[in-house]
Amino acid sequence: MRNPFIISLFALIVMLLLSLAIGSVFIPPAELWRALSGIGSSETFRTILWNIRMPRTALIALVGAALAGSGAAYQGLFRNPLADPYLIGVASGAGLGAVLAMSIKWPYTTLGLLAVPLAAFIASLLTVYLVYTFAHIGGSVPTTNLILAGVAVSSFATSLTSFLMLKSTGEVRRAIGWLLGGVSLVSWDATLALVPYLAIGLTALVLNGYALNLLQFGDDQATQMGLNVRRAKFIIIVAASLVTAAAVSFAGIIGFVGLVVPHIVRIWWGVDYRRLIPLSIICGASALLLADVLSRIVMAPQELPVGIVTALAGAPFFLWVLRRSKNQGLW
Amino acid sequence: MLRKTFYLTLLLALLLTSCGPATPTELPATATVAAPTASTEIKLTDGLNRPVVLKGAAQRILSMAPSNTEILFAVGAGDQVVGRDEFSDYPEAAKNVASIGSTFESLNMESIYSMKPDLVLAAEINTAEQVKALEDLGLTVYYLKNPTTLEEMYTNLEIVAKLTGHEAEAATLIESLKKRVAAVDEKIMPLNSRFSVFYEVDGTDPSKPFTAGKGTFINLLIERAGGYNIASDIDGYPQLSLEQVVAADPAFILLGDAKFGTTPESIAQRPGWANLSAVKNKQVLPFNDDLLSRPGPRMVDGLEELAKVLRPELFK
Repeated sequence: MRNPFIISLFALIVMLLLSLAIGSVFIPPAELWRALSGIGSSETFRTILWNIRMPRTALIALVGAALAGSGAAYQGLFRNPLADPYLIGVASGAGLGAVLAMSIKWPYTTLGLLAVPLAAFIASLLTVYLVYTFAHIGGSVPTTNLILAGVAVSSFATSLTSFLMLKSTGEVRRAIGWLLGGVSLVSWDATLALVPYLAIGLTALVLNGYALNLLQFGDDQATQMGLNVRRAKFIIIVAASLVTAAAVSFAGIIGFVGLVVPHIVRIWWGVDYRRLIPLSIICGASALLLADVLSRIVMAPQELPVGIVTALAGAPFFLWVLRRSKNQGLW
Repeated sequence: MLRKTFYLTLLLALLLTSCGPATPTELPATATVAAPTASTEIKLTDGLNRPVVLKGAAQRILSMAPSNTEILFAVGAGDQVVGRDEFSDYPEAAKNVASIGSTFESLNMESIYSMKPDLVLAAEINTAEQVKALEDLGLTVYYLKNPTTLEEMYTNLEIVAKLTGHEAEAATLIESLKKRVAAVDEKIMPLNSRFSVFYEVDGTDPSKPFTAGKGTFINLLIERAGGYNIASDIDGYPQLSLEQVVAADPAFILLGDAKFGTTPESIAQRPGWANLSAVKNKQVLPFNDDLLSRPGPRMVDGLEELAKVLRPELFK
């Protein structure tokens, strides 16, 4: 029970196995093992396990890791407990891009099929860039400005999205499904496409744990302690946005994980960002895997958008952790 | 310690993502049960311009939309349907077929694959991404485009018949459908007056009900049944304001949303609507929306029903 990394990694492994074992089609444990090892298993089970469940499990784990990791970084950067990965416009931008792409009938080609994730990715990065530019004053980017510019630009993008959805009646349900988050259509291609962005972005965030610790004292203090505040902030914003945008582009907008997982980690294991960031990444993956497993079985055979489950199951759990926590004054 | 554990996590994640097959797996051998017709190869191009090849008439069909299910049963391929989407509720026998849930926001890929369909019949409510995902699993998918005319609807019947080996039945069906349409035309065409119609698709927001305009099948069938759709100059499915409907003062108000709880009484209570001709003459009528919104053979039922509602004296 000492080392939080051992505990959280163990939980992650359990969740990964659970996610592989549970699905709408029941695979008996013995068959599951055979399908995994590829010896003497049925073709159906093997395809379900390797081509449906496994890419989905991997994608969900990656997305959960991305959201919780960047959520923890944003909370530290903005010194604001309400910060989540979407604070400065990633979600609203991605939503706008995705709905724009959905309102067009694309030809059945690779590019046409990638139109929605591509548009979401590009639009979310553009939105963050816009927010950053607006918040810029002289040589510095005050965090208050970032939050305010983020709120304004996000509202603008969200209202544009709503307008588009009202205009094109046919695609509304599809857009709503996307905005609630869900990953029922996962191929290895999508999962592999995520890996480079997340590997670079999350590594950058983990390496900036110490910088985030210093930033907790305020910009001036952090500068005095020898931190290049402008550079650190810039790297954290770019890394967190990149990671979130990549995750959102394939999985839609999944709320709550990025907000709450870092808080739970903080309550359980303390506020040191050198631990907080990697632990949030690991626990984020576990949390979203759990939510995804629930989303598959609650209303089977119908799958719920995982975004509904994260908040529905996550909020009461978080309140419970909060009530039990004796560790006050984390902020 | 910290660094090490992180790299371990990363390694784990990479391992997980890289041990899958790099390319989509080889096609699973489709179960080749002897087809009723000769097992000759069937080659067609679908609504997404994809070539679709079947080894013979499909024997294990998964229908992804209510309209597809209705078409399959209508051409006599009902026994070959092994799966359907949640909303396929017609004909009655379709309800006995296993459901894969709704096909709209998400697809239950595991259930679909475990049914081992040799043909997945998709429709326009499905997305190209869904088609691709099914194709990647090695399933054969035919994407049936929505028809915009009755002729195109007949073509869709022929396509489904070809895929399932029921061409003779389809030909008979199409002939009888054409006869029924001609019978309606014969009575309606000579008339030189038309009744104006407001067709309510969705009144969830009673202050701005959705209706069907230009380019929709509802519009087409209303006109064919001797009506004049008050929204016929607007494209798609527009929302009309209460004022616009009052200004148009339709002779008939048809409630396609009756199954969602809109009633003639609730219509009369909308501000300013109590004095509409349709309300005063009691011509606010519930209408079975399935007959107009599902692009299949029951559209002809819809046409007949509409004609009967608008011109009851001609259809006694």
